[in-house]
Amino acid sequence: MNLLDHLIIVPILLPLLVGAALVPVDEHRRRLKVTVGLCSTFGLLATALALLWQADQVSGAAPSATYLLGNWSLPFGIALAADRLTALMLALTAVLACATLMFAAARWDRVGVHFHALFQFMLVGVNGAFLTNDLFNLFVFFEVMLAASYGLLLHGSGKQRVRAGLHYVAVNLAASSVFLIGVALIYAAAGSLNMADIALRIPPMSPADTHLLETGAAILAVAFLVKSAIWPLNFWLPGSYAAATPPVAAMFAIMTKVGIYVLLRLWLLLFSDEAGDSAGFGGEWLLYGGLATLAVASLGMLAAQDFKRLAGYSVIASSGTLLAGIAIEGVGATAAALYYMLGSTLALAAFFLLTDLLERIRDFGANLLAVTVEAFEAEGMVLPDQDEVGVAIPAALAFLGMSFVLCTLMLTGMPPLSGFIGKFALMATALAHHDLTQLAQVPVVTWLLLVLLVVSGLAGIITLMRLGIRLFWVPASHKVPRLRLIEAAPIAGLLLGCVLITVQAGPVMGFLQRTAEALHDGRAFAEGVMNSAPVGGEVN
Amino acid sequence: MSSLVLIVLLPFLGSCLAALLPANARNWEAWLAGSVTLGCAVLALLQYGAVAGGDVLRTTVSWLPQYGLNLIFRMDGFAWLFTLLVSVIGFLVVLYARYYMSPEDPVPRFFSFLLAFMGAMLGVVLSGNLIQLVLFWELTSLTSFMLIGYWHHRADARRGARMAFTVTATGGLALFAGMVILGQIVGSYDLDDVLVAGDLVRAHDGYLWVLGLVALGALTKSAQFPFHFWLPRAMAAPTPVSAFLHSATMVKAGVFLLIRFWPVLAGTEAWSLIIGGAGLATLVIGAFLAIFQHDLKGLLAYSTISHLGLITLLLGIGTPLAAVAAIFHTINHATFKASLFMAAGIIDHETGTRDLRQLGGLRHLMPITTTLAMVAAAAMAGVPLLNGFLSKEMFFAETIDVSGSMNWGLPLAATLAGLFSVTYSLRFIHEVFFGPPARDLPRVPHEPPYWMRFPIEALVLACLVVGVVPGLTIGPYLHLAVVSVLGGATPEYSLSVWHGFNLPLLMSVAALGGGVLLYLVLEKCLPVRSLDKVPLLHRFDGQREFERVLMAVTGFAGRVQHRLTSQRLQPQLMWLVLVTLIAGLLPSLRGVTDLRELPMALDPAFAMMWLIGGICAVAAAYQAKYHRLAALALVGGTGLVVCLTFAWFSAPDLALTQLAVEVVTTVLILLGLRWLPRRLEPKELGIQASLRDRVRRSRDFLIATLGGGGMALLAYLVLTRDQSESIADFFLEKALPEGGGTNVVNVILVDFRGFDTFGEIAVLGIVALTVYALLRRFRPAPESIHLSQQQDDPEGYTPSKDAEEGSLLVPGLFMRALMPVLMVVSIYLFMRGHNMPGGGFVAGLVMSVAIILQYMVGGTEWVEEKLPIRPHVWISSGLLLALLTGLGAWVFGYPFLTTHSPHPVLPLVGEVPLPSAFLFDLGVFSLVVGATVLVLIALGHQSVRSHRSSAKAGDTPDENRQRGAIRWS
Repeated sequence: MNLLDHLIIVPILLPLLVGAALVPVDEHRRRLKVTVGLCSTFGLLATALALLWQADQVSGAAPSATYLLGNWSLPFGIALAADRLTALMLALTAVLACATLMFAAARWDRVGVHFHALFQFMLVGVNGAFLTNDLFNLFVFFEVMLAASYGLLLHGSGKQRVRAGLHYVAVNLAASSVFLIGVALIYAAAGSLNMADIALRIPPMSPADTHLLETGAAILAVAFLVKSAIWPLNFWLPGSYAAATPPVAAMFAIMTKVGIYVLLRLWLLLFSDEAGDSAGFGGEWLLYGGLATLAVASLGMLAAQDFKRLAGYSVIASSGTLLAGIAIEGVGATAAALYYMLGSTLALAAFFLLTDLLERIRDFGANLLAVTVEAFEAEGMVLPDQDEVGVAIPAALAFLGMSFVLCTLMLTGMPPLSGFIGKFALMATALAHHDLTQLAQVPVVTWLLLVLLVVSGLAGIITLMRLGIRLFWVPASHKVPRLRLIEAAPIAGLLLGCVLITVQAGPVMGFLQRTAEALHDGRAFAEGVMNSAPVGGEVN
Repeated sequence: MSSLVLIVLLPFLGSCLAALLPANARNWEAWLAGSVTLGCAVLALLQYGAVAGGDVLRTTVSWLPQYGLNLIFRMDGFAWLFTLLVSVIGFLVVLYARYYMSPEDPVPRFFSFLLAFMGAMLGVVLSGNLIQLVLFWELTSLTSFMLIGYWHHRADARRGARMAFTVTATGGLALFAGMVILGQIVGSYDLDDVLVAGDLVRAHDGYLWVLGLVALGALTKSAQFPFHFWLPRAMAAPTPVSAFLHSATMVKAGVFLLIRFWPVLAGTEAWSLIIGGAGLATLVIGAFLAIFQHDLKGLLAYSTISHLGLITLLLGIGTPLAAVAAIFHTINHATFKASLFMAAGIIDHETGTRDLRQLGGLRHLMPITTTLAMVAAAAMAGVPLLNGFLSKEMFFAETIDVSGSMNWGLPLAATLAGLFSVTYSLRFIHEVFFGPPARDLPRVPHEPPYWMRFPIEALVLACLVVGVVPGLTIGPYLHLAVVSVLGGATPEYSLSVWHGFNLPLLMSVAALGGGVLLYLVLEKCLPVRSLDKVPLLHRFDGQREFERVLMAVTGFAGRVQHRLTSQRLQPQLMWLVLVTLIAGLLPSLRGVTDLRELPMALDPAFAMMWLIGGICAVAAAYQAKYHRLAALALVGGTGLVVCLTFAWFSAPDLALTQLAVEVVTTVLILLGLRWLPRRLEPKELGIQASLRDRVRRSRDFLIATLGGGGMALLAYLVLTRDQSESIADFFLEKALPEGGGTNVVNVILVDFRGFDTFGEIAVLGIVALTVYALLRRFRPAPESIHLSQQQDDPEGYTPSKDAEEGSLLVPGLFMRALMPVLMVVSIYLFMRGHNMPGGGFVAGLVMSVAIILQYMVGGTEWVEEKLPIRPHVWISSGLLLALLTGLGAWVFGYPFLTTHSPHPVLPLVGEVPLPSAFLFDLGVFSLVVGATVLVLIALGHQSVRSHRSSAKAGDTPDENRQRGAIRWS
């Protein structure tokens, strides 16, 4: 094996190495910690981009790289496998990590201890969950990710954080138990833990085994659905995301996507068309769940009274859209959902970071007054009695305003940014499956999806506009912020990413379609994984 | 780059540039914006040759070809005319705005948004793709929002902007949905494909949906009844914005859309009903309301609404001739209304007020403006020899045509609306320019600078020229537009001023005469000036309804939301269990369940043991709420049963580890239990559970029972099935020959699945760090701070003193003596791990127990004085050791964690098996010790700190550091 063959495991080992090394480093040496941490995240970004390039060189659905840990042959050892989707998720994680860590370095890493180590450990977990091809190993990486996320969520302590954090811990611990039960059942039914191996074992399986396996898969899915914040398993999310320090909340934008990634991967792998009776198992439930989530999230957005709660419900809305999106059949819909995910993750992270800066410029007293004024303003046409000369906006505020508008456009799916394109592609593919000349035969859920996609955007607009006007436009309600480059750059970078995938929608979608095609060809992927041989012969 | 792309791109580039100029660069901004708008106009003019030849210019920019979304810029005659209209009026508005905006206004923002709006509007006009059209459509809403809210320090601007945006953006979203469905029906989002598919669309099942959604988009944008209320509110914008957006262009986007899709959607009953109905209602209501406005711009706004209603009604009529009139009136209205708005702006600018009740007699002070406004208002009223007359005449003719001889309703309504429009035009002119000169004006008015008036002059001239010689001026261009929309259906029409004495002329005369009469009557009988409310229609206030609906929606959302989610933990966990239950049952609904008999006989001793374990578990749950200590002890009992079960089924390894884990965790939880406040039972407080509580508890009990039962069933299913094809056999076979150890469990842990172990030790380390980070700032509840009876010694004994000379002296000695023994045991367990029960994990736990014991008898301070431990270093080095061991395989060209078992022959000792897994296990050992001790310290220090804080005395952090313990800050 040459050194490049080890590239696939670097996203796990690099942050682990850095995290472990940072544990005993004194908290006063912040500069060192920040530098090392950023080196790690940018290293991860470079690795992910290399893997992305590598993944797109492969023509079929087979993984571009596999890695047999301990050199044990499959299905006995643990294997990592990377294809386009994996590499894409790694890259997305790395981008988020770079941005949030930079933002955190401005002030938030100081409010508690071990921030940098925990941050790296969380990256270990997230990256591992994307890379692993083994169900139990997936559980392990989920645990790594969750354990680190507990620490990060509680980072900074305080009553609010501890309260929300402990809810988060309790729910996730319960979900982990569910996870374990599911894995045990699948292992009992299929006799293997390797995902690819399980997928290949399903078609010839006896009905009794299939039944057990489906039970296991359904229970396992619950664990991922908790993570991906489906209603009614998402009560913990708005509170804990609002309580987390902003950079942590921004990084958590990827966490719900981990759940969705695993669902997408496992569902298409295990219950592909070859799976006989089990093909597409549970798909309709995913769709209903996604729609319910989207509906409740829309209500939550409408009722939200502050940015952080709104951001939390936006996370849920994004999850609902994605869950419904991946449940729609076909390569086109999967690609559209992935495209939507890219944009919404970047935008959500940017928005969480932005809320921190927005909180800083608001002046509570003046804000309250503005609300009252708005509520009690006299009815009817008011003739202008105020000065008809505008107010100049300082550059820092202009930056915040622009970022806010861009985030709004992204989160609500308003034109012209990628949120709009993603929603359009989803709507178009949802309809494309049905013969529109027989309108009555188009299922109600499809219409419901269409309506909810539009309405959730509207709910977001109404609330964001209300909050935005209150914050930016009410005179003298804000202190002019001191904006530091290290805080502005991550937001600008994330939003630039949104703009970039909008402008380059064609090539990006081309890549995503290849990704989706590979995903839908689960058998080829599974065979590709199982064909990987250990170094030096069949078995070491 | 194609010039079509350039026409759209140029304003956006200008917008970016304008935003970057300094705040007071009024002239620069005007030059920039002026040249951009003029540039667009010139570019459009250059296309005339090609367009006039009947070509449809197309430029395609590939964007998202996979979903049929490409940027297609498409210009036919109609788009050409509209482009020209937008860019020319844009230019005039820029010129006007240069003088209108105050020198102190931060104009970069203004011009930047104005140009962006123009770009978006041109984008709508030139879109050759349905989705692209929606995209630019929403952009016009967004930029319009920014422009209305330009003076955002004013509450009316904020409200106006918000309302306008909410209404138009909602319509835009409806349009979006409509366009997606339309595109799916046709099978293409390309406008050219859609335009030829009219028959297919109209006959399609989905036609009504498309029509409804598109109509929603168009009617909201063009401020048609019942969505008209946002437009008067949008008048809070600076006047150039009102002139540009809310009279000439943006509100025309709705009309534009209806004309654009006229060949596809028009000609059905539903179309006439929806579009025509809305248009008719708007026409009459708008004109009526306009009469009673006191704000100059308000009057013009309602007049705009009414005129847009006229155009919409024409389109709704559905005949080709009506469509021609609609296109014609769109252009005419833009010219006279823009000039009127500018005139209103001048009046506002010069006098400082827009209130009709304050103004009067301005003709003496501003004669030229007066003349211009009068001509424009006459065009608005439909006075002959002006352009407004021509299109209104065509409108009247159409109403007669479609109604037949029996039905007089439509012509009557049209005449009535015309009559109203004469009245409000008259009121506008009369009350502003005639009558006694106004007093107490905020400013003394005089004529504006020439270049501020120039745009009005240009527009009024256009009104006049078109009105007098329509055939020579607008004729060919209008024809171009009409042909490009109607194609083969283009009717014969005549633009001449004089059609002879006919019914339409009679209607015009009636409207003119009646309008003047109505104004006179109103002046005499009903003093309009003193009216606060609009007669008849004041009950319907769209704006108030809008606010009410919005409030209701938000409130409703909040209430429903409150019911559908919860901030409490218990409901969340209940849902988790419920959903898991349902998920587990899901496959059973369609699958077969294969229940077999237990393959072996039940051992009574084993069953007894499990019965006890089960009772312990249930009892622990029962006691957990009020008696935590008891619950903990009971959980320990269950844990012991689990240990015994492992041993029973020949897994001594697991039994050993589980035992050590049980001990360590119980001790750590006990340490934490100390800080939890006591919970009082309801009996102690004298509270009785309500019926509701009882029902809830019964429900929860039921769910819990079902969950437990389900779990048991699943376990039974798993245990009774054949394990033939499992990978388990492999591990049993290969553990010794390839894993180099006879202890299969350990070989699995450190070799076959070493990566899992690696991850799990990382989890342990992370949890320890988290506990440490959390407890570092922990302040116990006040009721938990007081010392326990044992600690609260009146003679000032501290735990450490106790250990050295007090009652704990003897046990302390024993414990200290035990420490080396435990360490040897730990090393022993570690060394034999690969072949016999043991290993790094359990060895680490035993080591931790040794340390815990010292803490227990010696107290925190005493132990840390004697035994410097740096758990962070242990954790870190444990992880790094495991990592580096795994990385060692890279050197030999093997994957991470590949093991190697060299058997070096050492002097004296002989051959020593030294698998690399050994080093890995050492890492595990180190981490387990570090993590356990870190948690122990974190918990142990609570008592030290809380005592310190209660005693108001404490060691400085430096002293702590000297002792080698952890620093607490």
